[in-house]
Amino acid sequence: MPRRSVRGGRRPQRAKPVREHRGEGVRGGAFRCVGCRLDVPFDAPGTAHRNHCPHCLASLHVDLRVPGDRAADCRGRMAPLSMSARPDGEWLVIHHCLACGDLSANRIAGDDNALALLRLAVRPLSDPTVPVRALMSL
Amino acid sequence: MSTHEHDRSPHDRGPRDRGPRDLSPHSRAATFTCVRCGLTLNEAAPDGARRDHCPSCLHSRHLTDHVDGGPSDCGGRMVPISVAVPRGGDWRVIHRCVRCDELTSTPIRGDDNQLVLMRLAVRPLAQPPFPLEAFGDL
Repeated sequence: MPRRSVRGGRRPQRAKPVREHRGEGVRGGAFRCVGCRLDVPFDAPGTAHRNHCPHCLASLHVDLRVPGDRAADCRGRMAPLSMSARPDGEWLVIHHCLACGDLSANRIAGDDNALALLRLAVRPLSDPTVPVRALMSL
Repeated sequence: MSTHEHDRSPHDRGPRDRGPRDLSPHSRAATFTCVRCGLTLNEAAPDGARRDHCPSCLHSRHLTDHVDGGPSDCGGRMVPISVAVPRGGDWRVIHRCVRCDELTSTPIRGDDNQLVLMRLAVRPLAQPPFPLEAFGDL
């Protein structure tokens, strides 16, 4: 299948209100990742909402509906579960809250670890179960 | 709303255990129609578990509320967006409701179309956000 052109009908990103980042664990426009303890600045290339660690892709369950609303009272650690793609080809990381089991989809940022992203994306192919064998039998 | 109530008859029954023991003789014979491809399906999968998505197109309906576990009044179509491979477990399909944007994950069943599953799993790799050629040098 040929690659779909990105320049074609690319949907502009939905306008979302950007909230001020205040609260516990926030100092100097940075937060500390719950997974790998890396200090991560809030400014991210390609997105207005930094919502996961660019190194280990872990996140924190703080937002409920709108990114940045800080309305969730769970505060559990969210582990990356799988990779999804929008129809225009943009990648989304599906996060899974380890405390309450909730799922959320987050766009990847420009400085996310490419190896971690690719590991997540090829995880179904590395699993030697039935669907892979169905492809081999074609 | 009355048509809404009408067309969700056999598929909607509160929170329940999805194991084989839960199926009464009546619901073993129950069927539902796929909202996308119109296929009429038996509600019980071949392995005895209850089916919640169409095995041919993997689409589903938003009938269970995943926050408090009861029946949901959304009833929107749920599109498969990703395949998750938990460590040492079965594959799960991540669905997104087109109406209210809720995300759910359900286990795949034995008769799900494996080529459609693989297509969903490799979709991010069709349009990577960075050149994959660099990974050959690692």
